[in-house]
Amino acid sequence: MTLTPEAPATAAGSPVGRSVRRKDGDLILTGHGAYLDDIEFPGSVLHAALLRSPHPAARILRMDTSAAQARPGVRVVLTGAEAAAATQPIPHFYNPAMVGGRSTDFHPLAVDTVHYAGEPVAAVVAESLHEAQAALRDIVVDYETLPFVLDAEQALAPEAPRVFEGWEDNAVARLPFMEGDATAALAGAPHTLTGEISIQRYQTTPMETRGYVAAWSPDGRLTMHASTQNPHPLRSHLAQVFGIGEHQVRVVATRLGGGFGHKFHSYPEEALVALLARRAGAPVKWLESREESLLVGAREYLHRFEVGFDAEGTILALQDRILANVGALGSSGGWAQAFVAGLTVPGPYKITHYDVEVAVVATHKAPWNGARGFGKESATLMMERVVDLVAQRLRMDPAEVRRRNLIPADAMPYWTAMKHIDSGEYHAVLEEVLEAADYEGQRAEQTTARAHGRLLGIGIGFELAPEGADLAGSLVRGHDTATVRIDRTGGATVLTGVTSPGSGNETGIAQMVAAELGIGVDDVRVVQGDTDLCPYGYGNFSSRSLTVGGAAAVLAARDVRATLAQAGAHLLKTRVEDCSFADGHLIDTASGQRLPLPEVVNAVMTLGGVGLGIDESQLESTRTYSPENVHLVPDEAGRVSVYPSYAYSAHVATVEVDRETGKVTVLSYTGVHDCGTVINPMFVRGQFLGAIAMGIGGALWEESVYGADGRLRSDSLKRYLVPRAPDLPWIETRSRETPSPFALLGVKGGGESGVSGAIGAIANAVNDALLPLGVHVHEMPLSAPRVLRALTDQRIRP
Amino acid sequence: MIRTALRHHAPGDLEEAAALLAAHGERAAVVGGGTVLVPSLTRGERDLDHVVDLRRLGLDELSGTDQELRIGASVSYADVLSAPPFPGAAQLLQVAAGGITGGPQIRNQGTVCGSASYANPSSDMPGVLVALGAQMHLHGPEGGRTLPAGEFFVDAFRVAARRGELLVAVSVPTRPDRIGYYKFKLAEGSWPIATASAVLPDPDGSLTGATVTLGAVSAVPLRLDLAPLLDGNGDLAVPAAEVDGWVAAQVPEPWDDELAPGDYRRTVAGVVLRRALQRAEENR
Repeated sequence: MTLTPEAPATAAGSPVGRSVRRKDGDLILTGHGAYLDDIEFPGSVLHAALLRSPHPAARILRMDTSAAQARPGVRVVLTGAEAAAATQPIPHFYNPAMVGGRSTDFHPLAVDTVHYAGEPVAAVVAESLHEAQAALRDIVVDYETLPFVLDAEQALAPEAPRVFEGWEDNAVARLPFMEGDATAALAGAPHTLTGEISIQRYQTTPMETRGYVAAWSPDGRLTMHASTQNPHPLRSHLAQVFGIGEHQVRVVATRLGGGFGHKFHSYPEEALVALLARRAGAPVKWLESREESLLVGAREYLHRFEVGFDAEGTILALQDRILANVGALGSSGGWAQAFVAGLTVPGPYKITHYDVEVAVVATHKAPWNGARGFGKESATLMMERVVDLVAQRLRMDPAEVRRRNLIPADAMPYWTAMKHIDSGEYHAVLEEVLEAADYEGQRAEQTTARAHGRLLGIGIGFELAPEGADLAGSLVRGHDTATVRIDRTGGATVLTGVTSPGSGNETGIAQMVAAELGIGVDDVRVVQGDTDLCPYGYGNFSSRSLTVGGAAAVLAARDVRATLAQAGAHLLKTRVEDCSFADGHLIDTASGQRLPLPEVVNAVMTLGGVGLGIDESQLESTRTYSPENVHLVPDEAGRVSVYPSYAYSAHVATVEVDRETGKVTVLSYTGVHDCGTVINPMFVRGQFLGAIAMGIGGALWEESVYGADGRLRSDSLKRYLVPRAPDLPWIETRSRETPSPFALLGVKGGGESGVSGAIGAIANAVNDALLPLGVHVHEMPLSAPRVLRALTDQRIRP
Repeated sequence: MIRTALRHHAPGDLEEAAALLAAHGERAAVVGGGTVLVPSLTRGERDLDHVVDLRRLGLDELSGTDQELRIGASVSYADVLSAPPFPGAAQLLQVAAGGITGGPQIRNQGTVCGSASYANPSSDMPGVLVALGAQMHLHGPEGGRTLPAGEFFVDAFRVAARRGELLVAVSVPTRPDRIGYYKFKLAEGSWPIATASAVLPDPDGSLTGATVTLGAVSAVPLRLDLAPLLDGNGDLAVPAAEVDGWVAAQVPEPWDDELAPGDYRRTVAGVVLRRALQRAEENR
């Protein structure tokens, strides 16, 4: 069945498409929005603290916990061996074996061997956090340190120390993505160029870090309150780890102060906190410190590319060899971003011959978890630099090279090896951003500035953001489920399987349901995150909350509406087709008669099945929406597509480089994006702005730096620089709506758009600024020391 | 969460404070605003048994004579900023205080003397105090003594306080020097990568007698006398590249951390020096 976009029944006055204020916005702003650490639990809650390995690679020879055990207030001290004996291995969020890769088992605590500095090796539960943390230093661990490797390239060398015992080498997987014949097309191309670009390890720094509170009730039931993005999959995973029925586990995802992929489940601490609570016989709470939070990695890639093109700037072929340093793998599934990095190439461009291989490499750094962009940022950075390098070689304007290579609107939907792109007007959005940024005017100003010796650069970034992933075989799928019920006061309750990372999607879902039922957004309550209340769903990932969670709620609301219309037709003695819903009323459009919705609801609930001409007396429906445009079975050309929706955006950044210090200042920024039909423009803009800020931060400052000792040095927000308001320019945004023909209401994912485009635009702008000096910087982030090094190298060149 | 059992002392006079610090040595620390000490205890980076709180010592004086300003150990950056404009060279302190990273939360808590005692190379105060030739007033079991700032900063995170001594105040001169401050940092949240405090004493506006003190580029502030760069009129006689080269040569062991390597700091040292001079010139 193909669902066609359908305007909600009450288009006039519909809250869809309006910047409705966030339902819980006032609560949050006034400090009344409770996050995990604010929740008061009944009884006394014990506190957990984790001892983490100071060594990146070591064997644990002996552990003596007796002194810690004897400390006042200490209830439980747990070692890795004890934890492993009490649990099944933690299920992988995405098991590399799914794509033919190597895998291994992970446990709540390191058992014999430590794989990264910061890996938890023991845990303490005490009556106070103070006592728990104080006891850590009384745990004696004898380590035999082992050789370690931090760099992906070195990790692939035959003599490199292995991260995991028994692995032939440190490659987790080698993933090919190809179409056409890149080798032949490169050989035949009139021009070719090669290059290398790397993107650093960095993460998303959610304002609220992770945390879990676990409690076992006397009947053997586990309840976990978790700052997580995936409550239902976490429930499945906890049931598996403890070998109990899933119905014996309740997970409540609390209000999140940011998710970004950092709070995908499958961390070792989830099962660990539950195990500690079981051992302690009391509720146990653990909150991730900022230092612990900063361990989580993502995005460390090196691209080696070769591109073939003709004199007109048409790109004929592309080869890209990607090295992804995913750290010590872990069960948390972050490595899968390397898969997406390969899949995303060649982005929004019509390049028919390409050959991409991603080497996913394990090293002794802490494992990755998801990070907004999910690999797309790396592919975008490479593609956007490639386009600019082609322009530079041909002395063409980079905008013109994009015009010549973007997939034309009339070619949509468009197949690549791994993507079936739903829709898009790339050329129109490019022109719009150029116009909004006054690109031509800025180029003229740049000429003047350059004449005065200023290093002013303008960069374009064009981003394709595949969203809504449906990876069969993993713990998360693309579909989701919602229940909608209407009550006797005319209000609706939505129980949904998708959760909010703090983005406001509950308000978006309320808008969609309110539009279907003709009631106010305030009359809709959206319940998320509680596995005892909500239907099974996959929570928050891949920007799919409205595309599938919202769509499922719309389908369920339409069921309820259909019952109401049947009843209303009977009550008003009119035809069902003439019944519409608005302002909390059922309206007979033929006669203009109106019935307050509560009256219709009451009639159904009191007379349904008896005197209303309807069989149904239940005003509740549960529906699952599976994204269209997912192709998991290869077609005759061997093509599959795991992403149903393809948002995209175009960016123009203008920067100035301080010639003497290398410091980059972003002078202006313009972004235009298209995520299909927009439910709430304010939220979409908020997501876009946040993503651009995250992209700029990653392009210029954020970096997880490791020392030669294998320990993370960027362990506080003074050593890991997240942009603050004065670091950013005013960001001008516009949006365009090209509905997806495959999605209910035409909605596409909007939560990640902007990160990748911003990285590409800033990288191009900085390199454009350096162009007159004949140097480039292809090592991210473009921090002042790196940029100055490039300038200095240029100065000492003969 | 602070992991050790910590005894909090709030002595009422300096003798008691000095006696506590002397008695407990390495196991005790002074807490002023706590912006550095408390987070380091919370993160388990420091391990103490005693903290000696300054709050009852009455060290919140901010007073002046016609020659100097005295800033007590409890005077916060916010106090410095809300005071009337400091006269003469002392104004440098206010300029630098206005650029302290961390917003009102840090400026309301953090103190000039606390920052000096912490002696983090990547911070504003050490360089500013050395530039001004500040006098550091210490009090210990043997009573009070005063050290010039240039002798107070011994090494990274190390000052010339003896066992039992605490910094009770700093005095900065109010001579009518022109001053210029330039702080270079990578981003708003960054510690300074290099700072330069220019002090120009010549009333006729030349650079005769001028010094520029570099902060954050080495373990302790470097106070540079510009004489080798000046011509007979007290004007800068050499081109910028030469200034930079000369300055770099004055930084044999640059400070190195995760935000910026040592060679970078050495390279930009001359740049920040010239920019501080330019600001001082603009203050004419």
